[in-house]
Amino acid sequence: MSPQPFGSIKGFGVTFKQIFKKPITQQYPEYKRPLYPRFRGRHRLWRHEDGLEKCVGCSLCAAACPADCIRVVAAENTAEHRVSAGERYARIYEINLSRCIFCGYCELACPFDAITLGNEFELSEYSRDDLIYTKDMLLAPPIKRVPVADRELYDTPIPFYKTGS
Amino acid sequence: MSTPELVTVTIDGRRAEVAKGTGLVETALQAGVEIPVFCYEPRLGPPIGACRMCLVEIEGMPKLQAGCTLTAQDGMAVRTAATSEKAAEGQNATLEFILVNHPLDCPVCDKGGECPLQDLTFRYGPGNTRMIFPKRTFEKPIPISPTIALDRERCILCYRCTRFSESVAGDGQLVARNRGAQSAIATFEDEPYRAPFSGNVIELCPVGALTSTQYRFEARPWEIQNVPTVCAMCPVGCNVSATTREGKVKRIVSRNHPEVDEGWLCDKGRFAHSHLRAEDRITEPLLRVRRRGFSPIGWDQALDEAERLLRGAGSRIVTALSGSETVEGAYGLARLLRGGLGAHSAVLPEEAGHALDAYRLPLSAIRDAELVVVVGDDPVSERAPIVDLWIRAAQRGGAELVTAGPSGTLLAAPGSAAQVCRDLAAPGSEVGRRLRESARAILIWSGQGGQGGAHLAALARALGFDGKEGCGAFHLPATPNGRGVAAAWAAASDEEAENPEPISLLIVSGDEAASDPNVRALAERAEAVLAITMFHALAVGWADLVLPATSYLERDGTTMNLEGRLQRLRRAVMPPAPDELAWLSQLAERFGIALPPYPALVFEELSPVAFGGLAFGEVGERAALPPRAEAAPLPPLESAPPPPTSDGHYLQLLRYRPLFSGAAVERVPELQFQRPPREVELSADDAERRRISSGDEVSVRSNGTSTALRARLDRRLAPGVVRIAEEHAGDLHALVEVVKA
Repeated sequence: MSPQPFGSIKGFGVTFKQIFKKPITQQYPEYKRPLYPRFRGRHRLWRHEDGLEKCVGCSLCAAACPADCIRVVAAENTAEHRVSAGERYARIYEINLSRCIFCGYCELACPFDAITLGNEFELSEYSRDDLIYTKDMLLAPPIKRVPVADRELYDTPIPFYKTGS
Repeated sequence: MSTPELVTVTIDGRRAEVAKGTGLVETALQAGVEIPVFCYEPRLGPPIGACRMCLVEIEGMPKLQAGCTLTAQDGMAVRTAATSEKAAEGQNATLEFILVNHPLDCPVCDKGGECPLQDLTFRYGPGNTRMIFPKRTFEKPIPISPTIALDRERCILCYRCTRFSESVAGDGQLVARNRGAQSAIATFEDEPYRAPFSGNVIELCPVGALTSTQYRFEARPWEIQNVPTVCAMCPVGCNVSATTREGKVKRIVSRNHPEVDEGWLCDKGRFAHSHLRAEDRITEPLLRVRRRGFSPIGWDQALDEAERLLRGAGSRIVTALSGSETVEGAYGLARLLRGGLGAHSAVLPEEAGHALDAYRLPLSAIRDAELVVVVGDDPVSERAPIVDLWIRAAQRGGAELVTAGPSGTLLAAPGSAAQVCRDLAAPGSEVGRRLRESARAILIWSGQGGQGGAHLAALARALGFDGKEGCGAFHLPATPNGRGVAAAWAAASDEEAENPEPISLLIVSGDEAASDPNVRALAERAEAVLAITMFHALAVGWADLVLPATSYLERDGTTMNLEGRLQRLRRAVMPPAPDELAWLSQLAERFGIALPPYPALVFEELSPVAFGGLAFGEVGERAALPPRAEAAPLPPLESAPPPPTSDGHYLQLLRYRPLFSGAAVERVPELQFQRPPREVELSADDAERRRISSGDEVSVRSNGTSTALRARLDRRLAPGVVRIAEEHAGDLHALVEVVKA
């Protein structure tokens, strides 16, 4: 016997007590926890109200990226083919989301607020190639449902800074 | 020269001892203090103090001074922005003023990330602006030439570009229009900036006002790699960096070698790199199947075919070399053909030799000369453009330039350069006397013939250049690496070449050889032709087997420039097919010859024979010039029979190979405007006699052939001579008649 014969009983007592408590396990994906507003998920590229892309292809996001997952190839706007407001636009804009660490530096670096990190996090794919998001994919509104998109369906927990602990 | 007087200057409390007259910026640098500058650039001549960025406080002077315009004086006490609040405030205000109308389009600007204005604003400038009015706008970008775009909004009027155009290149086409606040950089009469050195203004511009159209929006400084290599477009061998991004060469920038190029590049070297991605680039071996058709084959089959051709021909092979191969590539070819097959016969476009090694000087010595004599038919800028800049630098320094040629200060008939050399060596010659007396005289041979410099060496010897440190002679060859290729070919075997007749196999190595009409004529006599070339158009119609060639930006190895300086080529990008040495080594193995596929090992093998055992690693990023060779006996001088001269009616045709010509330039759309127009140059006398004025359409005829060209009067051209660029001269004979169309 161990030097403390009642130790095991005491330990099992804690276990048995938990049986009668409400479980805290959340059944993802049936139940989806909502996200905090500043959650950093999949990137989004934005357009101006007139439809022109905000991104001018300056590559500052690629320079800021610590994971080196952004590739930008710029080209010149012409009168016939105007894509962005400035002289240049991003002909190719790719983010390799299998490398991205979602640090948000690209968002900080962007001088035109063209890229932001959204709330989408369900990004798994069967192939690594599918994780390279092109400009078209990044410009499109999120295709997959994310909890925040439908606030009323899910309860919103009180943010930790409001609980006072 | 006496040693200059030393003065002591105090900068920010640090003492610096420099020669009297040294610029304050350099003096500060020696003391370890930086004086920031935009407009100051010693290579452009005297400082002008336009940008006011270099403001410093000098003890005893009430106001801030422009540091770049001052020179070091004894006892001077200078305080820069680091220690003087007044100077810091002055620089801060200067930057705020410069930025008043400078647009904030750094994310769009090509200079962003490598911009002196960005860097200095970050370090010395104000963090914000008080400018609340709309900034000045201009139409932008303005293409001042197909290669350069001008953005006047970004211009800070430092006048670097106009000073380059006016005093360094001497073309004077880029000017500052209007005065004061209305000043704007423009080309004269808004004509395109068409000059061989125009691209340098892009590199000089401290902001993004002058940018390259080729590099426009291609890459940003943090996305690129710079590969230090050497330009192999002409025999000067300027040191360059090839900027690559994602495996492609995006631009060429200079990598200042103060003895070779002083940081200047010609437009051919700067912009011709896009021929690497030409549409008709050959990327796989081609075998001729029908009369004119090629079918692509695999490398195994290609090597089988090549082996079959070589075995069938044995020693009855002639190799046409381009003189643009690397030393290692040429040696590999020579090892295979001379060692394996006993095929010793090779032709180079021009004879290369080492006769001038006894009068060797760095190219920068031309600048310090007091007398420069150029003999030969071709303008220096068409053969070795940077040499032209060195001569201009010498002239700015007060040197006298004597050109003895068909359009020179001493008129000489075309093809008579050897005779000119003999005349200069003769005791009665006035120029010869001054050459003998001068301590700093330079001879330059710019033209055909010359036996690789032997004629000039004979002249230098006769003028007593032996033992005179400041006197030297340069032969400007037509090929970029003719000397290196000749040395490598000679290093592979000692046996004498005999010209086989009939030729079983002609091996055409490289694009220059493939576009050479003499090589084409040789191919008429050959049973089979194996071409190693980069472009489809050069192989069509005559080659039986085509193996893809690589460009100088895709090779590793060494190359020798006109001074005899061995320089290192580094591979900037991977070629689309294996390079020459890779398949040569495989092919050599089939003939029982061990040839390593790596340039370093090949160089190790040939260096003891050809370069005195120099190690590959010792060639270095800024190659040193080998010391002067001992004066050796000269090869027997041969004089080509003088070409037929004009009889008044028939005029002597002088062909020249323009700088902007060749297979690479033809494939660069941006450089087409630089190629010579369809013109014939006539002397004023001949034109007047034929009632032709500049701009007239004329017909140039000789036995059975004729070509329509536009006439242009050249007042400096010798009477009885017409000059036509090689590519427009076609099949014309040595004597032509010019008739108004």
